[in-house]
Amino acid sequence: MLSVVKEERAARRAAGARLLRLAASLRLTLALIALLGFGVAFAYLREDARTWPLVVPLILLAFNLLAAVLTNGVFRRQTALLVFHLALIVLLLLVAAGRLSYLTGYVGVTEGVPFDGTLAESQRGPLHAGDIAQVRFVNKGFSIDYAPGLQRGATRNAVAWSEGNGRWHEEMIGDQTPLVLSGYRFYTTFNKGFALTFLWRDAHGNDFLGSVQLPPYPLKEYSQAAAWSPPGSTLSIWVMLDIDEVLLDPAEHTSFRLPERYKLIVRIGDDRHELRPGDSLQTAEGTLEFEGLRNWMGYRVFYDWTLPWLLAACAVAVASLGAHFWLKFSARPWDA
Amino acid sequence: MLEMELELQILWAAVTAYVLAGIVAVVGVVLGKKPERSVLALMLAGLSLQTISIGLRWDRLGHGPFITMFEILCSNVWSLMTAYILAYWRIRRIRATAAVVMPIMFIMLGWLMVAHPGEGHYPPTYNTPWLYIHIGLGKVFLGAVLVAVGLSCIILMRHAGLGRQRLAQLPASPQLDELAFRCMAIGLIFHTLMLIAGAIWAQDAWGRYWAWDPLETWAFITWLTVAFTIHARLAYRLSPPVHAGLILAVFVTAFLTFFGVPFVSVAPHQGAV
Ligand code: HEM
Repeated sequence: MLSVVKEERAARRAAGARLLRLAASLRLTLALIALLGFGVAFAYLREDARTWPLVVPLILLAFNLLAAVLTNGVFRRQTALLVFHLALIVLLLLVAAGRLSYLTGYVGVTEGVPFDGTLAESQRGPLHAGDIAQVRFVNKGFSIDYAPGLQRGATRNAVAWSEGNGRWHEEMIGDQTPLVLSGYRFYTTFNKGFALTFLWRDAHGNDFLGSVQLPPYPLKEYSQAAAWSPPGSTLSIWVMLDIDEVLLDPAEHTSFRLPERYKLIVRIGDDRHELRPGDSLQTAEGTLEFEGLRNWMGYRVFYDWTLPWLLAACAVAVASLGAHFWLKFSARPWDA
Repeated sequence: MLEMELELQILWAAVTAYVLAGIVAVVGVVLGKKPERSVLALMLAGLSLQTISIGLRWDRLGHGPFITMFEILCSNVWSLMTAYILAYWRIRRIRATAAVVMPIMFIMLGWLMVAHPGEGHYPPTYNTPWLYIHIGLGKVFLGAVLVAVGLSCIILMRHAGLGRQRLAQLPASPQLDELAFRCMAIGLIFHTLMLIAGAIWAQDAWGRYWAWDPLETWAFITWLTVAFTIHARLAYRLSPPVHAGLILAVFVTAFLTFFGVPFVSVAPHQGAV
């Protein structure tokens, strides 16, 4: 009786081992690498199917590799090769962790108006745990030079933030250098433009200072208009910036700057008004005072805590790959 | 304009030297001779002239040859020739591969001659050392694969019964195969490094390390073809001609990635807006 149980167990173990060896097959690796290649091509052609054609082959490859690590003696004899393949698995896990906890987003921030932690658009992984709502910084203005043909040069954007203890830091960001706050990385983009600042005094005498960002400039040069409602009001206000000068001459070396000669056209219902800085407008629900023009900068926001770990895993992968081939090739001369 | 004329004249002189090197190499193999010194001298002359031409253009435009198709082709001809000349100089026994490698180079030279040599816009995101690191690593990869391709073509020609006697001066196919494998191994290391450097750059410049843009997608597929080739050789103990065929497939994929994708898709991967 006892021996029958033992035999059964042994048979089961043998079947398990056979299954594991099958799962570890190098031929399976080949098929899966090819599958991943097709998955990548498929995901590239069909943008709406970006996840599964990549995830399925990657998971299968990971199991295949784990099975190989457990059963293939090559990995026990060649440590560098083992480390390389394990680094690939670690990379995969890190990318997966990153996808679960990332955040990407976009926000336009008017010069001198603090970023209040609200993004205009954002996407996040289901496990995103960062606290963007607590992040604050101030866009202190930027400079961009253009070469003839409106070819954009370097973007230099001064930003400032407080450390919480009241001490302020200022930093220059742009093109290659993001602002990093609490793990959130703010990148300047080519989206930037003009913002109108208004003082809104409602019927109760409460003052609100706010800014309305017009569409990007010079991308939307000919549609510098926006519609919005002041806080707590039901008015729909439409504004348009009518610029009366050539700001960025395509024939010259120029710099991004605010217009000096312009009119602000304001339409509320059927009423049309023209405002200059300092002018105010009495409406049914309050007073609107046009303060003036400022710049705004569009920032791409990115959060992924795995970045330094990804880099470390890549470094380990390449170093071990190099070590493996070095050991292998130095055993026999190159012109043998 | 005059300056560009001079650059182009020097470049055509370089192309002529390369073409002569190729012709001498082919004729040498056909006649069963070894004009190795002449081939090396001609290739070096071409490389020197091309270096001067690229240097003049670089000095005139204030940036390296990485923007237009003309520049990309030109700098890759330069780096491929550098890689191949190094292999030619160091590994004497494979010198007859020049008879197949140089004709492959003719394709790029021909394309270079019809590409428009005007200047392009140098985007602000290119102002970083990562440009040189990323591109330099890619060039080493392509150079290593080119040498492997030369060896593979010899293996395939022998297998097809082409010029068996003429190619007898080269080592036996299994040895060429091993050498080609080593080139692919070096290629894999440098391709991996290129992807990493590109990801670091993309994170700095565009705020994402990987976004499957066309060039990223095709570069990853190329990386997979190298991994596939290396594993196939192990899993099936491939014979030299089959391995050689796979190496050619890697080269074609890499070639399309480097020169085909920038050709059909200009918008992404440059942030030039
Ligand atoms: C995910 C599934 C994978 C499995 C199961 C796997 C398995 C193996 C095994 C068992 C070996 C040793 C073979 C031998 O020496 O007999 C090996 C070698 C190797 N693998 Fe993988 N591998 C996988 C993925 C990859 C990937 C994605 C790469 C990326 C390029 C890679 C690169 C290499 C390299 C460079 C070698 C060394 C080849 C040599 O020294 O000749 N592997 N692999």
